[in-house]
Amino acid sequence: MRTNLASATAIALFLSLSTSAAHAEEVTAWRLFISDHADPKVTVIDAVDGGKLDTFKIKGPASLHRSESGRTVFAVQGSAGVVTGIASGISFEDHGEHGDIDVEAPKLAGVEITGKKPSHFVEHDGDFAAFFDGEGVARIISEKVVLEGKSDFREVKTDAPQHGVAVTYGSHVLLSEPNREKPDELPVGIRVADEAGAPIGGIHACPDLHGEASSGNILAFACATGLLVVSHRDGTPAIRHLPYADSLPDGKTTTLIGGRGLQYFLGNYGADKVVLIDPTVESNAFRLISLPTRRVHFAVDPVRAKYAYVFTEDGQLHQLDVVKAEIANSLKLTDPYSMDGHWSEPRPRVAVAGDKIVVTDPLKGVLHLVDATSFEKTGDIAVEGKPFNIVSVGGSGQTHEGE
Amino acid sequence: MSRTLKLAAVMGVITSLPIIPSVAAAENLKVVASFSIIGDFAKNVGGDRVDIITLVGPNGDAHVYEPKPADAATVGSADVVLVNGLQFEGFLQRLVEASATKAPVVELTKGGEVLRNTEEEGHHDQDKAAKGEEGHAAEAKEGHEEGHHHHGEFDPHAWQSVHNAELYVKNIADAFCAADAAGCDTYRANAESYGQQLAALEEEIKAAVAEIPEDKRTIITSHDAYGYFEHEYGIKFLAPEGVSTESEASAADVAALIKQIRQDKASAIFVENVTNPRLIEQIASETGLKIGGELYSDALSDENGPAATYLEMMRHNITAIKGAILGS
Repeated sequence: MRTNLASATAIALFLSLSTSAAHAEEVTAWRLFISDHADPKVTVIDAVDGGKLDTFKIKGPASLHRSESGRTVFAVQGSAGVVTGIASGISFEDHGEHGDIDVEAPKLAGVEITGKKPSHFVEHDGDFAAFFDGEGVARIISEKVVLEGKSDFREVKTDAPQHGVAVTYGSHVLLSEPNREKPDELPVGIRVADEAGAPIGGIHACPDLHGEASSGNILAFACATGLLVVSHRDGTPAIRHLPYADSLPDGKTTTLIGGRGLQYFLGNYGADKVVLIDPTVESNAFRLISLPTRRVHFAVDPVRAKYAYVFTEDGQLHQLDVVKAEIANSLKLTDPYSMDGHWSEPRPRVAVAGDKIVVTDPLKGVLHLVDATSFEKTGDIAVEGKPFNIVSVGGSGQTHEGE
Repeated sequence: MSRTLKLAAVMGVITSLPIIPSVAAAENLKVVASFSIIGDFAKNVGGDRVDIITLVGPNGDAHVYEPKPADAATVGSADVVLVNGLQFEGFLQRLVEASATKAPVVELTKGGEVLRNTEEEGHHDQDKAAKGEEGHAAEAKEGHEEGHHHHGEFDPHAWQSVHNAELYVKNIADAFCAADAAGCDTYRANAESYGQQLAALEEEIKAAVAEIPEDKRTIITSHDAYGYFEHEYGIKFLAPEGVSTESEASAADVAALIKQIRQDKASAIFVENVTNPRLIEQIASETGLKIGGELYSDALSDENGPAATYLEMMRHNITAIKGAILGS
């Protein structure tokens, strides 16, 4: 193990173990993986000291996804037709009453999954499903296999190319159902299939399906009419439709993220509102929050479960209290980034790395750092090019020297 | 090393905050109970002076419960929060943090005799135990971003011994008295009255166990929830899953258990109300044991079930155990 790669706040602890006295260090390491809006590259920044760790050349501009464990980051390059696996270099091992951290250099995992127009990328049950819109095919691979450097994926096919999604669910796969009458439009529902893709039962209607997320043991898809909520029922997926509340104005959710630490979903609702959703309650499942201007991006805080963050086109980052369903604080960080124009133009993205909230500012070539506790800006990190998508990986754990 | 420790040595999960001033007598005490068994104890002690909200309801599994923003709001407006402790409620730290509650968070196992988690035994030293869950929370907060639930060094299912239930009741009365001095006499009287029912229950359980031949006192359940029952009353429980239902039993665990069942000549096998029965059904089929019914481990039944209160739960369990063994 090479802890020198982690700018670590190391606190020496002496733990008297039953066999020998081993020296345990508390190590904190956080890394930011940032894609560029124009250049095919992923830059890795040490979030503790701000230094650049590495730059990986890829095939095209990418959206980034980190795995639940944090051991893997995936660069989904829609225009280049490839999904590239990157080993983050940070891993944790649970030892019951403490967790160990292992810190190594980040590296390309040596895994590429190719196909036409990869877009939605979803992890569930330790499996990643990349959906290739241009083929209507999902390619599924486990994290274990990716970290072994193997590209051993399995394929599950739908009936037609579509801007679709696939989610593994135990021994099942949930697949979006294409709109057969209007193939260019969004999917119309979800179908449960076995591992080979053979359908089980009928279609669960979800018109204009776009956006999915997990929170704890619940998975949700966003539809024009409400949410499809998926939960376990004796090992099989139980799917129910949660209609938008009558009290909501006209609108729909098209992007969904799932709470961590608290179980909830946060979705956009139209352009300038977000909605907090608790699919487990009978009433008041939807709580609407108006934003000062249109939403650019949002992220949940995985450490401080009470908060999520929303960035709006006026250049403000908002701290959203998900318990009170209100904006607790707002902070001006960037020049305005209008939501007029193409959806894929370079605009800020938000990630949380320990006690820091990090916001990309593509047109300025910097990352803005905000302290998550005080909600005050603490600095910038310059990044060459147009830093765009961002994910963070890291945490704290013990290392044991001399074991 | 003995499996039993005085819990006085174990620090609390959450730094206890200063006791809040007594609420006005006209207002009921707003109490949050982490799960249904504690909710029932609180109801017996508080009577009509308290309003209780239970987070993990009947037949719910607190090991894997996912708290909601509404739960955080509930805890945030509580006067007293009652929890089991011993890392039973894996969600507690993040929920309390999100709630920003000023209410005391009272661990009801404090001061009781606790059993070491046999899975963890010999794994850590006792000084480490004194660090308690506070230390875990700090480690879990970042390293396992979502406050991953570590399995603790101690078995948290202390209520499975009626002797410990008496301690839960005492701790609840103390907490209510601290928060509502005007109602203290009522709380103490209620606790005394309920304590007498617990004492009678204890005798019933001991009498029922005495009727079971000693060589037939080994039974199977889903997870290690009955260590305290075993320790107190002498029924041996074997289970494929550990003290938490969070991690599933491996094929090797199940194979080892089946081997042990055959060696120890287990007399009966039971499903639990908080776990999926499939694994128990598989073990029953492979060992030829007939499922003797459903035991209530970490949660009460709903109002229409056979274990709607703690007293009913314990009576139902011993009756089911005795019936299945003597009928086998």
